[in-house]
Amino acid sequence: MQILCSVATRGRYTTTLPLVLSAIINQTRLPDKLVIFDDNDEPQDMRENPIYKHLFSIMDSKNLKWEWLFARKKGQHHIHQMANTMGFDWVWRCDDDAIPESNVLENLYRYTTPKIGAIGGSILTPPYMPDTLKVTGNIEQIDLEPNIQWNYIPRCKEVDHLHCSFLYRAGIHDYNLGLSRIAHREETLFTYGLKKKGYKILVVPESVTWHMKNPEGGIRSETKREMYEHDEQIFRNIVGNSDRTIVVLNCGLGDHIVFNSILDSIPNPMVFGCYPEITPCRSIAEAQALFGDLDQWNIYKKMSQWDWKGSLADAFKKLYL
Amino acid sequence: MIIIQPFAKKLINGKQNPKNYPYWKELIALIDEPIIQIGIEGEEQLTPDFRKNLPIAELRSLIQECRTWVGIDSFFQHLAWAENKPGIVLWSVSDPLIFGHTENINLLENRVYLAKNQFLWWDFTPHNPDAFVKPDKVLEFL
Repeated sequence: MQILCSVATRGRYTTTLPLVLSAIINQTRLPDKLVIFDDNDEPQDMRENPIYKHLFSIMDSKNLKWEWLFARKKGQHHIHQMANTMGFDWVWRCDDDAIPESNVLENLYRYTTPKIGAIGGSILTPPYMPDTLKVTGNIEQIDLEPNIQWNYIPRCKEVDHLHCSFLYRAGIHDYNLGLSRIAHREETLFTYGLKKKGYKILVVPESVTWHMKNPEGGIRSETKREMYEHDEQIFRNIVGNSDRTIVVLNCGLGDHIVFNSILDSIPNPMVFGCYPEITPCRSIAEAQALFGDLDQWNIYKKMSQWDWKGSLADAFKKLYL
Repeated sequence: MIIIQPFAKKLINGKQNPKNYPYWKELIALIDEPIIQIGIEGEEQLTPDFRKNLPIAELRSLIQECRTWVGIDSFFQHLAWAENKPGIVLWSVSDPLIFGHTENINLLENRVYLAKNQFLWWDFTPHNPDAFVKPDKVLEFL
């Protein structure tokens, strides 16, 4: 099982990023590869910086493959989607101001059984340590209770969603690329999407990451209110329709005809498409407005991702059943 | 009566769609049976009876009336499949194992001609007449 560690960073070259990298290379179980996605407006080559030079040297000594990629400044979700599709079995995503204790990856990895989609530990920001003993971790309670990861986790518990840093099964669910650049709720939507695909989401004890909440920099350093509202609306629309199977047929006429052969098998479908005379549906434009990113339902993109060799009808079954 | 559906969607770059069968005129000359061509405005007329821009309901009725049909890989093969009317599909670069239906006769010259990536637009795949079966072969199945 190959593990990729991905770190998205912005504005933290000389503050918390070196601490995060140091924590990663001192894990009791190293990832198979580390990729740093540099989302700075003016990315720098840090290889000759004394601190980074030393960190890279340790990585090489420990045979930890590493890569520093200049990201496209489209937001954290685009970065994580890239990591999600790099061909690894699991991705451990680490924020650039969240310092994992040395046993975190080893501990999270212990829970990677076949039915598990993502595993998170505590994300602590002292002095704020809310009482989380009775927190459910259910998505419906997200406005009413603190996040269960904001305090020590006494025992393993199944939840609906995670935030900040966690280990997840790669290549199963896409990040919602329709969110704005600030990518508000991106990890909540992502982990909830894994849950909706039938995988368990866990919070586990003895896996503590210290969230330093560096006030400078950060992948979400933009604070435009409209972007938050836009992303929040997408989040509400997706969660509000969680009892429906959202179907988006952003494909051709013939594809609609083939899709019809499985329509009756789909539980409680909500169909958006291009040819209502073939498949009763609402418009693609409406789906775009409601859910942001439609690529997660693009059957051709999915077949390409899956290196699909079966029939088109079976590909629709894999996507929706 | 048989239906022919000769042309795939026009490409944005103006090039010939690589799924378009290059030997329609020769094939039509071999068929001793009334033929109705279906398609859209702007496509080349190959038979005296060319019905353009038919609504889906009329296409369904026509499919029910025909003995069989011959077409390329386009929406029509799926529509006829949904109407339980088997026909012949003339393949070239797209894969019948993915986009075809086993109820039809799927004629593919050779799998070496299949595009490596089956899931992109066809604009960058060249049209290759060698990738198609010849008309006499089609006639054997008609």
